[in-house]
Formats: sequence, structure tokens, C-alpha cells
Amino acid sequence: MIPAEYLAGLGAILFCIGLVGVFTRANAIIVLMCVEIMLNAVNLNFVAGALHHGDVTGWVFTAIAIGIAAAEVAVGLAIFLALYGEHESISLDDITDLKH
Amino acid sequence: MGESKNPEMKFLIPIGLLLLFPFMRIYGGEFARGSPFDALESAFLIPLIPLLIFPLIAILGQVYNKEDWWKERFKEGGMIAIGSLAIALSLSVWLAIQFFTQGTGDEDALRWNLFNWISFDVLGQTADGTWVTMQQDVALGVGIWVDPLSLMLLFVAAFLCFLICWFSLGYMNTDPINEDRNHRFYAEFVLFSAGMLGMVLADSFLWLFVFWEIMGLCSYLLIGFYYERPSAAYAAKKAFLTTRVGDVFLLIGLLILYDLYGSLDYAVIFGDPSIGGTVDAGMLKWAMLMLFIGAVGKSAQFPLHVWLPDAMEGPTPVSALIHAATMVNAGLYLVARMVPFFDVTSHGHGVEGLGDVAIIIAWTGGITACMAAMIAFVQNDIKKVLAYSTMSQLAYIFTGLGVSLWLFNNDHHHAAVIAFGASMFHLFNHAMAKGMLFMASGSVIHEMHHAHHHVSDPGDHDDDFDAQDMRNMGGLASKLPVTATAMAIGSASIIGLPLIGGFWSKEGIIAETWSATALYGASWMLLPAFLILLTAGMTGFYMTRMWMMTFAGKPKSVFAGHAHEATPWIRTPLVLLSVISLLGGFLLSLLGAIHWLGEGEALGSALEHDGAVMTVLETIKHAFLPTDTFLLLITWTAVAISLVLGPMMAMRIHGGRLAKGESAHIGIAWLLPLSTRFGRSDVTELANSGVADALQRRLFFDEWYDAAVAATVIPLANVLAWFDKRVIDGAIKGIEWGSQSISGEVRKLTTGSARDYILMAVVGTLSIAVLMWRVAV
Repeated sequence: MIPAEYLAGLGAILFCIGLVGVFTRANAIIVLMCVEIMLNAVNLNFVAGALHHGDVTGWVFTAIAIGIAAAEVAVGLAIFLALYGEHESISLDDITDLKH
Repeated sequence: MGESKNPEMKFLIPIGLLLLFPFMRIYGGEFARGSPFDALESAFLIPLIPLLIFPLIAILGQVYNKEDWWKERFKEGGMIAIGSLAIALSLSVWLAIQFFTQGTGDEDALRWNLFNWISFDVLGQTADGTWVTMQQDVALGVGIWVDPLSLMLLFVAAFLCFLICWFSLGYMNTDPINEDRNHRFYAEFVLFSAGMLGMVLADSFLWLFVFWEIMGLCSYLLIGFYYERPSAAYAAKKAFLTTRVGDVFLLIGLLILYDLYGSLDYAVIFGDPSIGGTVDAGMLKWAMLMLFIGAVGKSAQFPLHVWLPDAMEGPTPVSALIHAATMVNAGLYLVARMVPFFDVTSHGHGVEGLGDVAIIIAWTGGITACMAAMIAFVQNDIKKVLAYSTMSQLAYIFTGLGVSLWLFNNDHHHAAVIAFGASMFHLFNHAMAKGMLFMASGSVIHEMHHAHHHVSDPGDHDDDFDAQDMRNMGGLASKLPVTATAMAIGSASIIGLPLIGGFWSKEGIIAETWSATALYGASWMLLPAFLILLTAGMTGFYMTRMWMMTFAGKPKSVFAGHAHEATPWIRTPLVLLSVISLLGGFLLSLLGAIHWLGEGEALGSALEHDGAVMTVLETIKHAFLPTDTFLLLITWTAVAISLVLGPMMAMRIHGGRLAKGESAHIGIAWLLPLSTRFGRSDVTELANSGVADALQRRLFFDEWYDAAVAATVIPLANVLAWFDKRVIDGAIKGIEWGSQSISGEVRKLTTGSARDYILMAVVGTLSIAVLMWRVAV
């Protein structure tokens, strides 16, 4: 059986990869994918916790988080469509509306 | 208007009914005995109703300005104003009737406390520095105080305000220059009336001051009614600022009084002004002096007199009348209220050693009387003559009050009461006569103005014809018969023609001043006594001069030949006040008005005692043949110079018959031929001399004050302006510059890019995490 520390470490690595992706990529869809990676890194931590403690709560949280992430992606993609309608682009470099 | 003979009467039927109201209430009251509602308890409505009408007229006028019904039926607010003043007048009459029928009982005055406005505890610091409650539940009340003095002034104010408002309906509403802004005039007018009525009825110095200031404000607004004229705006500012100088002193005086007595209520202060003999006379003297300076400002006495002549910039007779017949009396009222402080006779609890203040009051009066009369000699503007005459007559009253206060303070009760009563009686006679004279002058100006419009080319309105200049008048006696007669009666009352109006009171003042000097040892009163005797003759000169220049001789301009008396609304008040001026003085003398005002003796007690014929004979004998030889001499000197010397000299210069074919009113027709009997004197040389020039320029008071202001206030203002610009504005600008530059840097952080914000969020979160970790470990 894989020790919980390894799973937690993998989660941390995945979270950092996602974070770097969010900072560096311009395409909004890629950014959203990176956010999903970060989310799943957190899920992995839940799973590791559940394994470590032999408790089912972590599993339940993970299942809920995955469901919510799916709904979030749907909302996110809808926002990108709306942004594309407005700006003809979904590159985050082109969208600086928050400045105003 | 003008088809029917007296269109004003139609409008006034409801007002006549309103005047009946108090009588109905009194007789109705017989059936409803025990009803809690009586004249004294409804007296608070006298100032309150005009006070509430003020915003009503202002708002309605602003909204319905251009509507026909507002102009025709409501006379741009005038009908509402006159209605509210009719109610105030009828309530005042009701109050007077109740006062005469019931008397004041054992009290000095009828008092009624309406409610307590504020009550509070007074904190004080003890010797060891702790704060303790010195007085608990000190109440600032709202109440009514009615004694003969306030009743007389209340009647004068209510009656004259009512008549002025009536007059204004004819004067203001027929002049196109006032079109669409008369509501402003009427609104300010009723507010002014509320101020005067409230001040007279107030039962404490605090409310007196509040209403006093309301009047000051209205005075400013009414003088500046034609604010688009620079001269009017300047005059308004001048009146406001000059009276403000007096008001500051008044406020200081009131603070000293509060410090001495712990209250400003008349009831508390007049109950025992000496606080059982412990009050500090030196401090009280300062309080009296400060109150007097306030009165000097309000009543336009030397040296704060400069605003009154300029106040004639207001709408012609009306604000002029306010500044002659009602408002300026406020200062006299305040000085008259000082009597309890001075009264050390067995009737009062006054404080000894205030005689110096009384002497200052009398000197101020004497100097102003003479100075104003001199300046009136050379004025050519009919209203300016009347303005200076007002100043001079008010100064008479101040002299009389000063003498009275001195006598009160030196334990001569009888003489003091006579001097006081005569002064207040002169206030009454002067107010009635001067009110009427101003309305008459307004009538003259109005008709001259109309004649000018009528005669001159309609397109040619910007010539500098002055409808107020007496040099353009002359020969108007036949054109304006009612006005000419009214003005002759008013002038006679002011001059003090025996048996008419002001004679009874003016002789009283002169005689009492001289007797105080000669018989009671007030040697300091010699100068005022001499000056007011001299002024009696000068009054005869300038009033006769004014009348002769306006009404006698041949018309001096083409316009004067075309004037005619046509405007309705103007005649009725003139006739009414003429009758009062003609007979009021004598009748009230018979009733014993001087004793009533002086010591509250019941009106008409002499009549009851001696019968009518004896009283008439006694009154006349007392006036003309006093038992004291010295007083006899003074009386006849005064009569001789005011009746013969002054008028004769004026007639020598300005008298003249009317043009051929013209005839004057029967009552004055004899005057015109008489005026040519004294020969003719040529005064061109005198009129061009330096003295006349100095008088023309009002003895340079305006220049002196300008110079004084330039030397003191303006440098101070410059320093303050520098401080304001450099230090205060500098600090504010520094703050502005600093925050602007900081925010300029900070705003660069907001790039608008989502990734930057995420970075900030992450850094922030990490920082918090690190912080928590540090705290936890």
C-alpha cells in the first residue's frame, strides 16, 4: 500500500504545477484546466487523509468536490463564451476590464 | 382698478368682521365663564400667526407667481398678509380691552407662561476644582408679559403694520417694477411684523433678543428689496452691519445680566433687581451701558446713526415707514425696560449709582437730536428729511428716558414718572405722525412718478428724473389735497403745534429735562436740555421747509403740474392716521396717558374724578400755565421758537402762493398766503457755503467711518486673508497633493489582468498561512 505521505507529496507537486500554469498561460481554457489540476491536488490530499485515518469522510468530500468542479467548469466555459463574444479573444492578456 | 370709487372697501369687509371677533368673544365670554381661553392666553398668537404666514406667502408666491388669480385676488400675497395682520391687530385690541377691564391685580404686569422651551442643570466648578450642579432645572420659558409699556407698543406696532400693509396694497401692486416679486415683499413684511410684535410681548430678555434679530434680518431684506440696484444692496449691508455692532454689545450686556441674576426672565430680574441689595453696581452699570449701545444701533442714534438715511433705499414709503414708525422703537423699548434697575425710590428695588449711564443716554439723545435736525435742513430728498426727522425725534425720547432714569436713580419718583410717561407718549405720537408722514411722502413720490411716466415720452425712461427730489415738486397742494392736508397735520404734530399730537409729549420732555437740570440738581443735563430746546425750533424749520417746498408755490417741474391723486388704498390710512395725529394727543392727555404709561395709574381716572370740562381746563392750564415760573418760561420759549421762529424762517425762504386758478384744501388754504407774509430772504450764499456742504454730506460721518475701517479692519482683513491663503489653504493643498501622489503610485498595481490579481491573492494567502504557522509554533 502507498503511504499517505507520498500521496500528500504528489498532491503538493500537482498543486504547484497547477499554480505555475495559472500564472504563466494566457489562454483562459488552459488556466481553467490548471485550476482543475489544483483542485484535484487538494482532492488527493483528502484521499490521503482518509487512507491515513481509515475514515470515510475524506472520500465523501472528494466525491462532492468532483461534482462541484464539474459544475464549475460548465460555468467557467460559459463565462469564456461570453468573454469571447465581447472581446473576440479569450486570452487573459487581452482582457483588462477590472482596471476600469 | 379705478372704476368704482373705493375698490379697496370690497376687499376689506372680511377684515372688518375679523376686527369684530374679539368683541364677540368678550361678550360671548359672559356666558362661558370659567372658559380657560382668554385674551392673555391667546396673546401668543399675535406674533405666531404672522410668523406662520411668512413661509406660506413665500412658497405660494414662488409657485403661483404668474397666475392671474394670485395677482388679482390675492394681490401677490398682500391679502394674506393683511389678513394675518388684521388678526394680530384684533387680538391686540382684545388684549388691551382685557387689560383695561381686569387690570393687572397685584402684579406689575399680566404674565402668562406658555411652556418651557428648554430646561437644564447649571454646572459650576467649586474651589477645589470639582464640578457640581449649581442650579437644577433652570427653565428657558416662552411666555407673555403685558404692562402699559408693552401694551402701548404692541398697539402701535400692530396698528401701524396693518395700515402699512393696507397702504402697500396700493403702493406696491400698481408699480410695474415690483411685478412678480411682491410676494417676497409681503413675506418679509409679515416676518418683520412678527418680530416686532414678538419682541414687545416677550417675557424675557432672551426672547427680546431673538425677535430683535429677526427684525434686523427683515430690515436687511427689505432695504435690499431692489437688490439689483447697487445703492440698495450697499444700504442693506450698511444697515445690517451697523446694527450688528450694537447687537454685539447688547449680547454682551445680556450675558452680564445673566451672570448677575442667573436668569433673563423679566419676572426674576424685575422682581428684585438689587437681589436684596447685594448686586454689584459697577457690573450692572456696564450691563446697562451695553444694552444702551444695542438700543443706539437699533434706534439709529449718534454714533451708530449712519444706516437710517440709507435705509430709504427700500421700497419707497413702506420700508421707510418700518424704519420710522415701528422698528426703531425697539431700541427705545429696551431702554424703557431698564427702569426697574434704576428705580431706587420707595416703589422699586433698583440699584444706586447708575446715574452716569442715565447721563450718557441723555447726552446721546441731545447730541443726536440737534445733529440730525441740522442735517435735515439741507436735504432735498423728501424721504431723507423725514429720516433725519425720525432720528431727531427718537433722540428726544432718548433724552427724556435718560432724564427719567436719572431721576429714578436719585429718588425723585414723581418727576421721573412724568418724564418716563412723556417720553413713551412721545413715542406714540411720533409713531402715528411719522407713519402718516411717510405714507404721505410715498403718495407724493408715487404720483410724481406716475406724472413723469405720463408726461415723458414712453421710450425715454432712462433720464435721471428723481421723483423724490423736492426741487422738482412745488404747488402740489392743489393736486394732492388729501396728502397735503395729512402732511400738514403730521408736520404740525412733529413740530409740536399747541393742542396737536406731539405737543403734549414734547413739551413734557423739554419741561422735565429743564426741571431736572434746574430743580433737581442734575447739572450734567444742561447740555441735552439746551440742545433739545434748540432742536424744537429747528424741527419747526425743517418740517415747514419740507412742506413748503413740496406743496406751496408754483410747480418747479412740468411733472409736478401733472400729478393727481388717483391711486386707491393710499387715502384711507392717511385719513385715519391724520385724525389720530390731530386729536389723539389731546384725548390721551385728558385720559392721563402720561401717568398711565409712567406708573400704571388707571386711564381716565382724572375724568371720572373731576368731570370732562374741568379735566380739559386743568390739562390745558397745566400745559400752558404751569405754576412754576421757570417751567412757564421754558414752555413758552419752546412754543415760541418751534411755532413762530422756525416755521417763519422756512416760509421766508420757501413759502409761496399757488399758481393762478389753483386752490388748496380748505383746511390748509390759509397757510399758503400766510407763508408769503414774512418777506423773502435770499439764502443762495448760505446754501453754497461750506457749512451747507458739510451738512449735505452728513457731517462726513460716512467718510470718517470709511477711514476708520480702512485704517483698522482692512489691514486686519489682509493679514487674515494671508493666513487663510498660505497657512490654512496651504495645509489643505498639501494634504491634497500628498494623497494624490500616493494614490498615483498605488493605482499602478491595478493592471486589470486576472493573473496579477491571482498572484496577489496567493501571496496574501501564503502570508496569512505563514503568520498563522508562526503564531501556532
